[in-house]
Amino acid sequence: MNLIIIIIVAAICQYFGPWWTAALIPFITLAWQPTATSFKAFATGFVAIAILWFGYGLYLHTSSEGAMSNRIAQIFSLPNGFLLLAVTTLVGGLVGGFAGLSGHLARKIW
Amino acid sequence: MKIFKAILSVPITAGLIYALSRPWGPAPALGPFLSPFSGFWQNGEKQEVNHEEIVLKADALHDDVIVRFDDTGVPHIFAKNDFDLFYTQGYLTAKDRLWQMDLQTRAAAGRLSEILGPATLEMDQRSRRLGMGYGAEANLKVAMSEARSKTALEGYSAGVNAYIDQLKPKDYPVEYKLLGYAPEPWKPINTMYMLEQMTLTLAGRANDLRITNVLKKYGKGVIADLFPDYPIFQESPIIPAGTTWDFQRLPIPVENPLKQTDSAPIVSQPVTAGVIMPRDENKPEGIGSNNWAISAEKSITGYPILANDPHLELTLPSIWYQVQLHTPEMNVYGVSLPGIPSVIIGFNKNLAWGVTNVDADVFDLYKIKFKDSTRSQYWHDNQWKATSRREEIVYVKGLEPVKEQIVYTHHGPVTETDESGEHAPNLAIKWIGHEPGNSFLTFYELNKANNYDDYRAALKKYVGPAQNFVFADNGKNIALTVNGKLPLKYKDQGKFLLDGTDTSDDWQGWIPAEQNPFVKNPERGFVSSANQSSTDPTYPYYINWIFAPSERGVRINERLAAMKGANADSLRTLQNDNFNVLARNVLPRLLSVLDGSPLSPAQKAAKTNLDKWNYVNNPESIPASIFETWFPLLQSFIWDDEFSSDKIPMKQPSRDRTIYMLLNQPNEKWFDNINTSKKETMPDIVLSSFQATLDTLQKYHGEMSPKWSWSDVKNTEIRHLSRSLKPFNAPAIKVGGGSGIVNAITKRNGPSWRMVVELGPNPKAYGIYPGGQSGNPGSPYYLNMLKKWENGELNELVFLSSPDQTHPRLTSGITFKKK
Repeated sequence: MNLIIIIIVAAICQYFGPWWTAALIPFITLAWQPTATSFKAFATGFVAIAILWFGYGLYLHTSSEGAMSNRIAQIFSLPNGFLLLAVTTLVGGLVGGFAGLSGHLARKIW
Repeated sequence: MKIFKAILSVPITAGLIYALSRPWGPAPALGPFLSPFSGFWQNGEKQEVNHEEIVLKADALHDDVIVRFDDTGVPHIFAKNDFDLFYTQGYLTAKDRLWQMDLQTRAAAGRLSEILGPATLEMDQRSRRLGMGYGAEANLKVAMSEARSKTALEGYSAGVNAYIDQLKPKDYPVEYKLLGYAPEPWKPINTMYMLEQMTLTLAGRANDLRITNVLKKYGKGVIADLFPDYPIFQESPIIPAGTTWDFQRLPIPVENPLKQTDSAPIVSQPVTAGVIMPRDENKPEGIGSNNWAISAEKSITGYPILANDPHLELTLPSIWYQVQLHTPEMNVYGVSLPGIPSVIIGFNKNLAWGVTNVDADVFDLYKIKFKDSTRSQYWHDNQWKATSRREEIVYVKGLEPVKEQIVYTHHGPVTETDESGEHAPNLAIKWIGHEPGNSFLTFYELNKANNYDDYRAALKKYVGPAQNFVFADNGKNIALTVNGKLPLKYKDQGKFLLDGTDTSDDWQGWIPAEQNPFVKNPERGFVSSANQSSTDPTYPYYINWIFAPSERGVRINERLAAMKGANADSLRTLQNDNFNVLARNVLPRLLSVLDGSPLSPAQKAAKTNLDKWNYVNNPESIPASIFETWFPLLQSFIWDDEFSSDKIPMKQPSRDRTIYMLLNQPNEKWFDNINTSKKETMPDIVLSSFQATLDTLQKYHGEMSPKWSWSDVKNTEIRHLSRSLKPFNAPAIKVGGGSGIVNAITKRNGPSWRMVVELGPNPKAYGIYPGGQSGNPGSPYYLNMLKKWENGELNELVFLSSPDQTHPRLTSGITFKKK
């Protein structure tokens, strides 16, 4: 449930707001509804933002046939845009994961 | 334990977000950059034809504006008045080229360091010291005092800003995201900076110091012999030889015979770093252009046909932006320069025009005598006169602003030094870029012009950079005017460093605009220009002592003279002509020297190739590579020993003079290399430079093989404007041509726009540039025209007469609704 909430709310917030709402939403969600374990909190945040960034990134990558992503990949010395999408997914996942974990733990303390 | 984890986890999260929100070295802030919601992912566009018809509200407009796009991405703008027209031109140009406009105006204004840091500080200081801002401000004042230019500038600015205002950070061009900054509002002065930048590119340098050094080292005799005022081997001037100068001449100024000249050579090594602005350099060959028009008698259509290809640096996005501009008083199509309202090269229903650069001497250096080290007074006209100062503040990203007081005399800014005295700048620059004027009006009036008289009237308003304006109309006239505000000078004034104290060395007014060289409907049935000498030596006024080499002009003129029953395709073929006139002139002589010399097997093989060569610089030609490597080496083998020194830079004799000497003066002392004890002769130099040629080619391309093909050796590159983001460059291209070839594609420069217009009741026009309308590397319109350009083909240009005209190539549209 948390996963779906994060994906939907984070998508809306990032569409209209700054990129760091990708951290804010998992934090709030897991502070509001903590999970059983810390690991699960991290995983929820990680998977939610990773799915979101991967999914939207994949859509933009394929609909533009990699016109931009393949070139940016080369600037970062990566072979293709798809690998850059993997990096994007990982970065998004880590942001979501740590934010979710922090929200979860913060709730447990206070 | 939980507290401990929380205490650890929250700072890690915060640290991660902080680290992703700030740039690291050259890398942008990765969080917003990688996020698909805000980052570069947003800049990838759908790679399919857009058929959208959208409506935008615009509160600044006086009326509705309709825009139709064709399948190459060119906007066709239909407005009811000038303000709305230029508003829309500004809006759409920004939509496709915002970052280019930003970068180019920053470069001109000396404001690159604000976004790029100390790396560009020196470049910015050069622009500031040259007085780009001084010139732009002076021109803006004139432009804003005239109703038509004021409307255009204000409309254009409002349009650019309307586009910028509706952008969210995720919509910014990707270069802003990579560099981590935001677009700033557009101002009318930016247009003036763009015009200044063009003046700088085309008329912003001189060889005054280098040739003054030659004069001081070798004396007047050598100057007269090796640096003549008109080509002695070959020339085919722009205004045909024999044209009569049928006007009331102004008195020609004379040089003060008592003028003092000092004899110390000018060192131009920067001693005090940061003070010197060495703009004494050769314009790279390849910055030039071709244009011509053939008369109705020579064409199969019964009307004139006009062609133009301006040679500039080949960049992505292109220097040019195609557009059609339509109001009840105007219907023009052509290329514009992003940042400047109106069409610069194009055609309308009645006529067509194009431009090439005039190599006029409009950049001179004056030696200033200051009263003392405060530099607040300088000697001129037998009295001390006050200097003025202009403060230039360069803001540098990450550093304190750099301030500088630039001293101005009536000549111009004093920012160069000849290194006499205390190395403080003591040379003033007199430059056409500082001259106030309203060159925009020339283009605006040409856009609307109906006939030859309108063309001539429009040209009179032009200041610079001086251009050869070619013209053809439906009245079956063809014409060419060497046009610009040209200083009235004594013969050779400004060939050498001038005396800033002597009034007779000041520019003595201007050549009257109607007395600028021009030709209308000449007997020979065509007009043409390729940056060569404007006129033969009979023209009464002095324009310059040296122009671009004659080869392109010679080739164009011989082909046009032979042309009959021509159509647009005949002229397109001429634009792509790869014939090497220089090789025809000089190679037989060089090969005859080799004939008499013992050759190694490698030399023999190379010579056999050259023997069989048809003098065509085709992409696959090996002899073209050998010859194109050889001739510059031969020149440097002849001249470097006498005319090259690290300490005292000197100009070398021209290609024309070198050829003359090779063909007619084989025993000149200049062939001897003074750095060896041996006495070299012409054949020695030819042979040793030939061996050096083969060594050079072998070093970079291996043994002689198809790897020596001309396109590989020349290795033409079309780079992104950043010059550093290589993935944004064009892919490798295979093209022939070269410098001095009609198809003037060199490593970095070449035909930045090729246009051919068949005049007639319904003009038919063709054009192409190497790139596309969009500056976004993620757009399908970024490189869509490259392949055709590479192949030498042209697109037929869609010229509409009304907004609701149906045309199979129209795709999408935008309607701007007045609120």
